[in-house]
Amino acid sequence: MHPANTVVSPAAPAPARRRLGVQHLVIAFPVLSLTFASIGAVLGETFYLRLATEALILAGLALSVDILLGYTGLLSLGQALYFGLGAYTAAYLLGQGAVGFWGALLSSLALATPVALLAGLVAIRSKGVYFILITFGLAQVAAKTIYNTRELGGSDGLVGVPVLQADFGLFRVDLGSPVEFFLLMLALIMGLYLGLNYLMHTPFGRTLVAIRSNEHRVRFLGFDPWRYKLAAYAVAANVAALSGAMYPMLRGFVSPELLYFKMSADAVITVIFGGVGTLIGPIYGSVALVGLRTVLGSWTEHYHMIIGALFMLAVIFMPRGIAGLFERKESGPAQDEAERT
Amino acid sequence: MARRPSVRTPASASDDTLRLAPGTSGGAARRETVMTVAIEYLQFVLAPQMLNGLTIGVAVVLVALGLSIIFGLLDVVNMAHGEFYALGAFISMSLYSLGVSFWLALVLVPPIVIPIGFLIERGLIQRVYQHDQRHVLTLLLTVGLSIIMEDAFDLIYGPNTMRPENPLPGSTEFLGVILPNYRLFLLAVGVATILATWLVIYRTRLGAMIRAAAFDKHMTASLGVPVLRVYAGTFAFGVALAGFAGVLLAPIYSVFPTMGHDFVLLAFTAVIVGGIGSFYGAVIAGLLLAQIQAISSLYIPPYWSDPLLFAIMVAVLVVRPQGLFNWMGKG
Repeated sequence: MHPANTVVSPAAPAPARRRLGVQHLVIAFPVLSLTFASIGAVLGETFYLRLATEALILAGLALSVDILLGYTGLLSLGQALYFGLGAYTAAYLLGQGAVGFWGALLSSLALATPVALLAGLVAIRSKGVYFILITFGLAQVAAKTIYNTRELGGSDGLVGVPVLQADFGLFRVDLGSPVEFFLLMLALIMGLYLGLNYLMHTPFGRTLVAIRSNEHRVRFLGFDPWRYKLAAYAVAANVAALSGAMYPMLRGFVSPELLYFKMSADAVITVIFGGVGTLIGPIYGSVALVGLRTVLGSWTEHYHMIIGALFMLAVIFMPRGIAGLFERKESGPAQDEAERT
Repeated sequence: MARRPSVRTPASASDDTLRLAPGTSGGAARRETVMTVAIEYLQFVLAPQMLNGLTIGVAVVLVALGLSIIFGLLDVVNMAHGEFYALGAFISMSLYSLGVSFWLALVLVPPIVIPIGFLIERGLIQRVYQHDQRHVLTLLLTVGLSIIMEDAFDLIYGPNTMRPENPLPGSTEFLGVILPNYRLFLLAVGVATILATWLVIYRTRLGAMIRAAAFDKHMTASLGVPVLRVYAGTFAFGVALAGFAGVLLAPIYSVFPTMGHDFVLLAFTAVIVGGIGSFYGAVIAGLLLAQIQAISSLYIPPYWSDPLLFAIMVAVLVVRPQGLFNWMGKG
């Protein structure tokens, strides 16, 4: 109906100018992070290292949004639900002393999968806007329920999560040390990135991209889009829950705010800032957003307004985000736009 | 954070009356007591609570109608709708502090909100209409807008809860039921506004343009209707309805920066259950859900009413994924 891409499509790229590809971003991230970590370690810095670790944890949540929005074409406004679910599961079990590092991660995944399949059954059955609103409502309701459940700490949340040792067989990572936690989180996020990037290049991932472009055609080709979407939803929920489970280990507490709309919206903002459908973009976006928030927050407590305004500008003028600046013509599913019905 | 309709007192009162009942003994006397208790229950607990539900329901319908009309015509899910509801309430607070009376504020707020909505639609939302991902992008824009607006309220008015004076104190007794005057007034004004909206959409030339543009905007544009201006006007009208509801509800609930969040969830639920873009759906589902919420909060803790409403919404969607009623472009 409309001439597609009037806003997005970059004017034919200047042939003479060589641009950095997205893959350079992938290599640059751990390099920059390791440089940052070693500077931090030498200076004995804790605040910024912990902040950076939090940015990486939030990057996990953003990755989860990107799988849905960037690859499957589903906008979830309630992804914080799974982040919070993972965080609460880990905090509760760790607080009871019932599990260790691995147990906390595994149990949050074990809980997120059935919840996601159940919620996905309802949410994915209803299309488009309904999906968005259901995910939004689901997270709101879950947040309110936790807020009013005394066993889960109510509005105060759960406190007193012990400092952990992560046992990797050959070596141990002391999560009390900011540098070690940062390195662990960096490894985890890069692992998640590589794993998801691989997944999105398998036939499964390709089908998701096809669904995003044109769901009807996928159905005509003999695939059942519904199943693929549900699987993508479950994968995304697990990614969010896994990063959520790391949160109480870093901060030592969880609170109902982790499930609030602000959290979900921030994740979407991160993805848009970073670059939808690139996976690496949201990781950069998360670092950029956490950095921005800290800088702005030191000036004024009303930084939300500035971030909101920047976000709107990004949506209008730079819908491809940071990674879009580095994109070559053929990379990423963000490119192949077919008119969606 | 959750501000629920004020229900606690009647609920506890009912407990007392019910507990007293078995204490009195004797056959006929007991039957009479049971009857009295039942009537008293109806009179002092159920009826006021249903009136509460009805007033909230009418306000929910006003907000939900705006959402539904905006979606039905523009295909935009306005995530900032709750903030426009709050905007109405805050503007009225500013007007009060200037010495303007409640009645004048009620008349003044919609004309103030309309140009704001018009400019926002033309300046921001219309920019991404041509994009192939317009559903997602317009929604994201309104998310950004809601963040900015909420923070702006916090900046200008401070985070504290404000409560305007009740402009119509006192109550009326009708069939032994005590009805607060202000709620009756709210009910009357709300119903009148809903009827007026219906008239505009289904019985005027302007409404015909709106429905035609929702049905096929290219065809409508080729017939000489300024579709983009109709879009902006409809958006402005929808958010003004929310702002109007904000003024009306401010004396009952309070005014605080995040007031839009809680309320809009109920409106969203009503819109989904009724069918997005449907006029009748928004009205019926809004009234019904508010009633369910009001009555259920007599029996279950009020914070469970959100999960309950959500469960109803899910159940409706499982049976009818498109909601109960049709989109207005069809009707």
